[in-house]
Amino acid sequence: MIDIKQLELIANENRKKIVQMIYKAKAGHPGGSLSVIDMLTAIYEMDVDFNSQKRSKVVLSKGHAVPAQYAALCSKGIILEEELGTFRQVNSRLQGHPYTVDIPETDATTGLLGQGLSIAVGMAIVKKHDNENNHVYAILGDGETQEGQIWESLLQAAHYKLDNLIVVIDYNKLSSSGPVNEVINLDPLSEKLKAFNFHTIEINGNNMNEVVDALNEAYTVKGMPTAIISNTIKGKGVSFMENNPKWHSGALTDEEYNIAMQDLNRAKEEIQ
Amino acid sequence: MSNYEMIEMRKKIGDILCEFGEKDQRIYVLDSDLAKSTTSAKFRDTFPDRFVETGIAEASAMSIATGIASEGQIPFYVNFAIFVSGTAWTQLRQAAYANANVKMIVTHPGMDNGPDGATHHANEDIALVRSLPNVKVLVPSNIKELKQAIKMAIEYDGPVYIRCARDVVPDVEFETEAQIGKSTIVEDLGNDFALIYEGTAAAIAYEGFEVLKEKGYKGKLINIFSIKPMDTDFINNIASTVKGIVTVENHSIIGGLGGAIAEVIAQKPQHAKLAYVGVPDVFTESGKASDVKAKYGLNVNNIVEKVESVIK
Repeated sequence: MIDIKQLELIANENRKKIVQMIYKAKAGHPGGSLSVIDMLTAIYEMDVDFNSQKRSKVVLSKGHAVPAQYAALCSKGIILEEELGTFRQVNSRLQGHPYTVDIPETDATTGLLGQGLSIAVGMAIVKKHDNENNHVYAILGDGETQEGQIWESLLQAAHYKLDNLIVVIDYNKLSSSGPVNEVINLDPLSEKLKAFNFHTIEINGNNMNEVVDALNEAYTVKGMPTAIISNTIKGKGVSFMENNPKWHSGALTDEEYNIAMQDLNRAKEEIQ
Repeated sequence: MSNYEMIEMRKKIGDILCEFGEKDQRIYVLDSDLAKSTTSAKFRDTFPDRFVETGIAEASAMSIATGIASEGQIPFYVNFAIFVSGTAWTQLRQAAYANANVKMIVTHPGMDNGPDGATHHANEDIALVRSLPNVKVLVPSNIKELKQAIKMAIEYDGPVYIRCARDVVPDVEFETEAQIGKSTIVEDLGNDFALIYEGTAAAIAYEGFEVLKEKGYKGKLINIFSIKPMDTDFINNIASTVKGIVTVENHSIIGGLGGAIAEVIAQKPQHAKLAYVGVPDVFTESGKASDVKAKYGLNVNNIVEKVESVIK
């Protein structure tokens, strides 16, 4: 039985780790890390067993949100808490984007947008061939779907009926230069994915109940891949970052860091 | 190097992959709608469950290969050189960064796809690929070497790029076993010059060497086989032994075999003079492969002239 409150608490702790990492590094992408962390926390806690030889894999195609992945891996005991302070520093394992040579548990080396879904398709093809009973997740940014390769791999995933593949689009509505749909309009996104032969689920991706329900629904789908359009708030959980395009990428001042940690401590009390 | 038939290496790719694929269940083959042309269709027909057709989507194909490799399998992406090295370059670069166990067999290198014209001539692929860390670049010159290259690619853990001629090559076999990082002397008549060729330019290199022999020059004919890693001690030894070196490549003279040799020998205080036979810094045109090659630098006269220029 999944304890929603427990997942919410872990997600909130992961948010703190994200803020701490980026504060210490004086660089990174807080907005897209905070928007996706509820989904990422649920996936890792519910479905990724690092003690298993054949396990579910998570491809963070929006690799700039790697603080979220490091935080989740830290909660799983893969990355040590004291390592988090080395993020983006020379001689650290914690590169600015996921790097499997240093941390194999990141599952895929990403960073150049658009490539992760194809990598996930390759993994899913092998797992399906080998009749493995687990999943491959591809976590995409909304702006990332402007990359042409995404649409190549959507065609391929549906063609091969990869029902072990779950594509998550972290639809936080903002990309580097502002509202993503003013940059290049993505909508209607759900209809596009349906037309590409995906089982499509649309949720509030910052609501843990909806996240867990969507994942459980995806696990039952047969004969086609699933796409979860995860409507989220960029910068979710930190008051001054929410829906503010400025926090796509940037460093926090001491004052901002203190406010962020106060916000997250208050959120913890509210969950409890 | 005078009596031999001409043969198409490309026609053996499918057979060789089937042979290894029979023994090794980890081998997957990827194609982007050119399986008939690259002959990977044989693998598709023999092992359909380990054949991945991606459609005309080369970028995605390269990343899918990376995903297949990360599940412990050995993917071979077989496609034209221009698509693998060019269209999918950043995908290959990210795979190389991850040191992913991906293998590429590329056909139609250089001007081998003559009639299709400059769009389809891969005269830059060696330059594009050898600049990427972790990638091994092999240029087999005959079927035995192609098979050895594929065998080594299976045994080696990391990205390997194998350049396979579409045009005919001399049907010869050398006694020496090809190795990653090793080059071999095919014929050694003296120290006037060294003619160093990459596999897909073997035919014209052999012809040129014969003409030079008839003209009384005594040189060495060298099969580079491994462009990266390069057999640097061997090359430096050659550069301190012969009067002049001429490289022969079905590729631009910028960044290819000639460039790679120059990078090595230029670091020595003294070395043989060096000249390049290959495509100058221009785009090519349509025509029969042999005609296009002859027009754009790969001809016997050019080889003889360049050799004479470096030994004078």
